[in-house]
Parts: sequence; structure tokens; C-alpha cells
Amino acid sequence: MDTFLQSVVSGVLTGSLYAMIGVGLTVVFGVMRIINLAHGELVMLGMYGAFWGLALWKLDPFASIVIWVPLMFLGGMLVYRFLLRAIIPGGELNTLLYTAGLSLLIANLALFVWTGDYRTIKLKYALAPMRPFGIAVPIPLALAFGLAIVITAALYLFLARTDLGRAIRATSQNPEAAALMGVNVDRISMVTFGLGSALAGAAGVLLAPSLYLYPTVGEILIAKCFVIVVLGGLGSVVGAIAGGVLLGLVESLGAVYVSVAYKDTIGFVIFLLVLLFRPSGLFGVGKS
Amino acid sequence: MRKFLVVGVFLSVLLALAAPAPAQDTLKIGAPQPMTGPDAPFGDKFKKAYGMAVEEINAKGGVNGKKIEVILEDHQAKNALAATVAEKLIAQTKVLVLTGGRASGQAVEIASVAQRLKTPYVVDHPSADIITSKGFEWVFRNNPTGSIYPQAFNKFISEVPGALPKSAAVVYDNTVFGKTIANSAMTFLKSKGVPIVNDEAYPVNSLDFKPVMTKVKANNPDYLLMVAVATTDAILLTKHAKEIGVAPRAFVGFGGGFGVEDLAKELGPLSQNVFSSAAWSGNPNEPAAKEFYKKFQSKYAIFPKEHEVEGYSIIYVIADALKRAKLTGNLEADREAIRQSLLRTDMTTVFGKVKFGNWAGPLGDKYTNQNIYSLDHSVLAQWLDGKLLNVWPKANAETNAVFPDNTVKR
Amino acid sequence: MTRAAALAAILLLLALPFLTANQFYLHLGITVLMWTVLGVAWNLLGGFAGQVSFGHATFFGVGAYTMMILYLKAGVAPWYGIVLGGIVGALVSLPIGLICFRLRGPYFSLSTLAVAEIVRLVALNWEQLTSGPVGLLITTLPAVSFAGRAVNWESKIPFYYVVAVLVVVAMLATYGLSRSRLGAYLLAIREDEDTAESVGIDTVRAKVVTLALSAFFTGMAGGFYGLYFRYVDPDAVFPIALSVEMVFIAVVGGLATVVGPVIGAVFLVTIGELFRERFLVGHLIFYGLFMMLAIRYLPEGIWGGVRRFVSAHAPARNL
Repeated sequence: MDTFLQSVVSGVLTGSLYAMIGVGLTVVFGVMRIINLAHGELVMLGMYGAFWGLALWKLDPFASIVIWVPLMFLGGMLVYRFLLRAIIPGGELNTLLYTAGLSLLIANLALFVWTGDYRTIKLKYALAPMRPFGIAVPIPLALAFGLAIVITAALYLFLARTDLGRAIRATSQNPEAAALMGVNVDRISMVTFGLGSALAGAAGVLLAPSLYLYPTVGEILIAKCFVIVVLGGLGSVVGAIAGGVLLGLVESLGAVYVSVAYKDTIGFVIFLLVLLFRPSGLFGVGKS
Repeated sequence: MRKFLVVGVFLSVLLALAAPAPAQDTLKIGAPQPMTGPDAPFGDKFKKAYGMAVEEINAKGGVNGKKIEVILEDHQAKNALAATVAEKLIAQTKVLVLTGGRASGQAVEIASVAQRLKTPYVVDHPSADIITSKGFEWVFRNNPTGSIYPQAFNKFISEVPGALPKSAAVVYDNTVFGKTIANSAMTFLKSKGVPIVNDEAYPVNSLDFKPVMTKVKANNPDYLLMVAVATTDAILLTKHAKEIGVAPRAFVGFGGGFGVEDLAKELGPLSQNVFSSAAWSGNPNEPAAKEFYKKFQSKYAIFPKEHEVEGYSIIYVIADALKRAKLTGNLEADREAIRQSLLRTDMTTVFGKVKFGNWAGPLGDKYTNQNIYSLDHSVLAQWLDGKLLNVWPKANAETNAVFPDNTVKR
Repeated sequence: MTRAAALAAILLLLALPFLTANQFYLHLGITVLMWTVLGVAWNLLGGFAGQVSFGHATFFGVGAYTMMILYLKAGVAPWYGIVLGGIVGALVSLPIGLICFRLRGPYFSLSTLAVAEIVRLVALNWEQLTSGPVGLLITTLPAVSFAGRAVNWESKIPFYYVVAVLVVVAMLATYGLSRSRLGAYLLAIREDEDTAESVGIDTVRAKVVTLALSAFFTGMAGGFYGLYFRYVDPDAVFPIALSVEMVFIAVVGGLATVVGPVIGAVFLVTIGELFRERFLVGHLIFYGLFMMLAIRYLPEGIWGGVRRFVSAHAPARNL
């Protein structure tokens, strides 16, 4: 029973972090129909941000979110305005490959500047895990989980209650109709990409104390992230969260009760099975 | 019009890139290494190690009056690129010898190319047994093979009273490296009647070992064996094992990931008492090794371990062979002469004694041109207060082993 | 492209090994040709039919392993192994197509990626069949004669011709497809699949057949990889990077053209080489930058850009 509970807790905690990464990606896709392959690198930048914040200014990573999120929001908007906007008319495939090139560029620039030295964030209060009822819960992971809930709730409220949020949702549903309603689609796209980048950065900051820092960690993260986002339904924030937690659980339970070697396979198989019965993902809306 | 400008700039950049580097009259050694991607830190270690050796040798007048040069090329940890880079070094850069490779997959590819293109390949670090067990007469290896790695650990559990595991959990990465070592360790354990309660292969560069460790904890193993070729996996394995609460009498790490400084630096107190059955990094009681460590640390501010020692020593092995070979300037003849010279190698480096021969390994592989002293080049070390110190066999020990582990509650 | 120009290109291709003694250039040429086959194969499905697959490594790996296993364990000569690799690739593509073609757009693309990863993990763990991570290594090739003379496997020339033949056949197939009824169906599907259905086109069949054809050539290229590079392990033949590279070659070269993938392969291999030679650690920075510039300024691929240039300055030709 202990083993089962431990697996479930680990799975949900880890899965929620993956979900955080996925949320940014899905929001961008929902509005702009772009699959941003450089998303993993944005997460990586958030991770390094947390690291340097701690190393240079003694900032606790979880506190430094307030710096990095706005910065990445701005950065994302700039990337859209000066890089992506010209590419999008060329089609989805071109845009995707463009972001692939961008991802190579960012990851290798990071490798060049920050070198490949392994780095981790060591927090004094995180040396030993909490052990409620004998289940190990690492402190940074629990903190990240909590903050992820807060951020996601804030995002949900933003999208549901504010005018800007509604404009984003409208554009996501039907760009032409939204434009007819007076929404500046170009401006919304820019804001959305900024938002997606900010979410990626936040996910990176939250993830950093639980993982390790390496310039190419983005490519490992993004593979998981795609499965989650598609599983949940492209464009759906709720879907990304559901997908993340589901995948985290499946992998954790799969590793413990089926096979460690095949745990990723189980995830992919579930992924395919879900798509067979719900071709647009768990919470997807119609055909893309 | 602007498009033409862009295209024009493009093309001229390309042409500028294509300008060949000027040829120098040096003795060229080719070294494919991963300089980008997740393995890049290791490529960098070898770059530094080769660099120091080349500097020292050239400062003393080079080899027979000629300077030696190591030419590094990035293979990005991809097999096909490793082959391309090897072909380039052999056919285009016209090196006399190849070394390097770092990861076994790429090294196998390089060995295949070297064998076909008749160029000596002197392996410094890659450990897959098949590199020297396919009868390639152009391939030589200084370092121990994967199946030899666990030798010192095997001796430890056999010779130290009470150390024989009552049960063992083995967690290893699903690469040729991880599989070979795990296999070798498990074969020995089984021969001693030790039950293997967990046999788990994980995908390399995993992000999360908590599920694996949850599974392991359920079996309450007496020993936890962890194999990791990547430092990131080694760090996370140990961290998650202790977080989940696995409590064996000994945490034993195998592989490069456990033998690098970063492990203690990143894990801090969590690394205490973790054993590392990484390959040999020289006898610390020997003055030559001590001097090398001191010099390397002062030059690069890194404490060298197995990778640096292997890289440094291999250049000396190659230089020695170059010295004894009669080089005429004819590339094919020279390469053959060097091969002949390597067959007669009999020397001592900071890494240890080197002599290449044909013999059978612990799992029955028939080796060709494998260092005959390899069985002695396995050591069990332990992380104690942030330092990796050799603890077994006694002849190479720097201190006594701490056993059983006292950092976890059993 | 006129018949004459095509013929001249083929002749040049066949004569190349004798025009240069530099073994490394020959190696690069062989690599370029292998990537060309891959780009051409992917293009059939991705360019003509508009179905963007990110999992073509599945067929490459299946072809490679088929060839290696048949040769090393059953003594089947590699050239038969290559063709069989292609056939097995095509067969494997049938159930994959039936599953994945139910999905559209990015859902389809990612499902192909999931399939590729599943197959890679199976190859990694099914040791009895594939030797797992240790991989399969060819140390000797069978003694064989061609036109009365023993084939010298130590030379690169025989390999060059094997892959050159694959390229020519693949391109002929593409040309044939572009002129055929199936080709027209595919273009319709690419533009608007629902409309194509409503007009009476059996879209499922068209897609499945095209995928099988695409997988056939990809599988043969995989078999060739095993033959030339001699060593196959799961990470070498099933990685996601390989699938993405294939897409890239076809797109940068020029989607849905016969010549595009050749150009894409030539450019990507040579650019990669040049950058890597010059910048030991930073070359991928420039490679990424190059990719971005190429897509920015040549959104129809290099061949697309060439065609546009030519048609702006000369009467239109059917390229």
C-alpha cells in the first residue's frame, strides 16, 4: 500500500510540473496554431534564470519568479514581433521548422555561454524530504506544485474574466470572427506568445530546484510536453493539466508495477489509445 | 533586391567558411569527441587532458624532433557523424592515429572505420567489449572493458568479511555501457548465490527516478547498485534513492557519472559513503600520479579523475609508439609502422602499465589488442567528505572504506 | 526540368566517383545521397499528400534492423536485405497508417512521433532479436562479383552505386507519382481533405498507399545505412532527430518537387560540415541560424525559390 501511495504521490507531483510546461505550449497553439519547438529552450532559460538569481543575488528561486515571468513575457512578445510574425504566413510546417532552428540556436548559445558544466540548485531547506504518513515528498517539488496551482488558477481567471483573456479565447476559437468583432488579432497573438513564454519561464523556475541545469535539457522536456499537450487536447489549458497529471501517474505506476524499461512506452501507448477514441485529445474541441 | 543581398552575403559566408586551414608539419592525432549535446562536458575533459599532454611532450622537444598535434572534431554523440568525422580525419586531415570517441556507440563506429581504412585507433575511454572483441587488428585499447569494471567491487564483497550482499538491487542505464556493466556485476553476484531483487533498465538522461526507487525500496535490498554513464543520471539516482528512503548497507555507483567531481559538488552530503566503481584513475600512492593530479588541478582548476587520466595517458602511449616507429612520410606505410609499434608497446603511464595483448575477458569475450593489465585497472573508490578516495584493493587504497553505510536508517 | 537536363544530372551522378579521388568527399557524397533518398521518401507523404510525419525514423530503423538481422543471423546477402528492409518497412506502415491517419494535422504528426518512440524502445529492449543497446555490427561483407569482377568492399565505389541506384529509383517514383492520378488525389487531399472525400476520392486508401511507398524507400535507405556504416543500434536509427532532419531536408529543399530533396540534402550536409569544421563548439548556433534564415527568406524551399526566380525571368516550365 505504501508503495502504491508513494507512486501516486510522485506521479501527480511530477506530472503537474510537466503540465505547467505544457500549459504555455497549448495556449500558444490555441491562438496561433503554432507548435513552438523552442518552448523547451524557454523553460531552460527560466531554469538558468532561477540559478543565476540564486548564485548572483541570493534570491530564492521561488521568489525570483516575480522577476523572470515579466521578463520572459516581454522577451516572448519581442520574439513574436521581430521573428515569428514574418514566418507565420508561410504555413504551419515552416513555422514549426523555424522554431526548431530557433531552439537549436538558443540551446547552443546557452552551451557556448554557460558551458556544459552540470549545475544544480541547492536549497538549504530542501536537503531532506517531508515524510507525511511515511510518503516521501521532496520540499521543492511540493512548493513547485503549490505554486503551479496558483499560477494555473490565475491563468484560468485571466482567460475567463478579463477582457484580454476573452479576446484571447475568442481568437483561439475563430480568428476571423474575432477580428470581425474588433479584436486586433496580431496584437493578441503577440500577447499570447508573450504569455506562453512567461509560462514556460515560470515552469522552468519551478522545475529547476528539482532537476538539474543543462543547456540542452529543453529537448528532453519538450518530448514529454508534446505528448501531454496533444493528449489533453491542443489549445486546452485544462487538457494540458489533465494530460500532465495523467502521464505522470501512468509513468510512475507503470514503472513500479509493469517495467521501468518500458515506462515511456506505456505512456506513448496510452497516448495513441486516447487519440484513437478522442482524435482531438481529452478536452480538445473538434478537428484542428 | 534585398533578397539578392541576403543570398550574396550567405554565399560569401559559405565560401569564407570553406577556406581550408593551413597545413602544418606536425604528427597528427585525430580525436572525435562530443563537443556539443549532453555529452559535451566529457568532450571538454578530454580536450583539456590531451592539451596538457601535448604541451608537455612538445615542450620536451616533441617526438623525434617533430611536434605532435591533437585534432578534435565534434561528433555530437551521433554514430553516423562519428563515422563521418573519422573518415574526415583519416582521409582529409590525414592523421596518423585516432583516439577518443568517449561513448561506446560512437567508438564502435570509429573502430569499424579505422579497421577498414587501416588506421590505428588507440582507445582511451570507451568501454564496450565489442570494440576489442571483434578481432580488429587496427584497434587497441588501454582502458578496461565494461565487463571488467566491477572487478574491484567483486573483490571487495568477496574479501571483506561480512560484505557479501544478502540481496542486491541493480539499476542501470539501457545503453551498451550500462547493460555490459550490470550484466557483468550480476553474473558475478549470481555465481556467489546473491539474489538479485531488482533488475531495472532505465532510459539514459531520465528526469525522474522516484518510481524506480519506489520499486526498489519495496524489496528492501541489502545493496543498491546504480550504473550511470551520464553524470545527471548518477546525481538524480542517488538523490532520489535517498529521498524515497532506500536503505541498503551500501550504495554502489558504477560508471563515469559516479566518478566525476560534480557528483559530490552537486549532491553535497547526499554523496557521503557512496561507492564508485568507476574505472581506474591511477594509483594515488604513486608519485607520478600525485604529480599529475597536482599539475592538472593548478592548470585547469578541476580535480582530474578517470577521463582526464585516460586522455592524458593515451597521448603518452601514442607518442611512445610514434617514437619507436620508423616514419617515412608515406601515410599508409607510417600507419602500419605505428601499428607494429603499438603491438610492441610496453610502458607505464600515469594511468598504469600498458601492454596490448590477446586474451579472454571475465564474460568470455576474446579480446584483441586489449591492455593485458586491464584486470588490475579496476578500483573501488568511495566518496568521503566530498573527496573520491580509493578503498579497494588495499594495494591501491588511499583510506579505509566506510561500511556499512551510516547515512541512512535501516 | 527537361529530359536532357535530367539525363545529364543522372550521368553526372553516376560518373562522380571517378571525378574525385578524395575518399572523404566520396563519403560525403554517399551521405548526401542517403539523405536524398530519405528526403524524397518523406516528400511523397509530406509534400505531395500534406501529411507531416515526424516518425519516419520508424521505417528507417525497421529497414536497417531487417537487413542486419537477416544478414548476421540468417546469412541473407545485404542487397536482398536492403530490398527486404524496404518491404518490411512498407508492411509495418500499414497498421501504423490505419491508426494514425484517423488523426489530422498536428495530432497526426505527433502520433507518428509516438509510434517511432514506441518502436525505438521495443528495439532497445527486445534483446533476443536486436541485441538491444549493444547493437549489431557487420565485420565482413560477402564475396561477390559484378560484371565478372570481384567487388572490392574496401572501396567506397560499390556503396556509392548502391545508393545512387536508390536515389534514381526514388526520384523516378516521385516523378511518376507527380504525374499520376494518385498524385492528383494527393494534391487534392493536401489542399482540403474533406472536400476531396466528398468528391469521391478514397482518401484513406490514397494516404495508406502513399505511406507504404514512402516507407518502402525509407526502409531501403535504412538497409543501406546498415550496409555502409556497418553498425546499427537503436539510437542511431530510431532517434527523433532523424525524423526531424528528414522533414527539414524536404522543406528546405522544396516540398512536393522532384528535385527539392536533393538540394535540401546537399545543402544540409555540406552546411553542417562546413560549420562543424570551423567552430568546434559553436557550430550548431550557426546551423540553427541558417535554418531560420532559410525558412525566412526561402519559404518555398531552395528549389521553390529557384523556380520562382526562373519563372519571373523566363517562360514558365513544368518543374
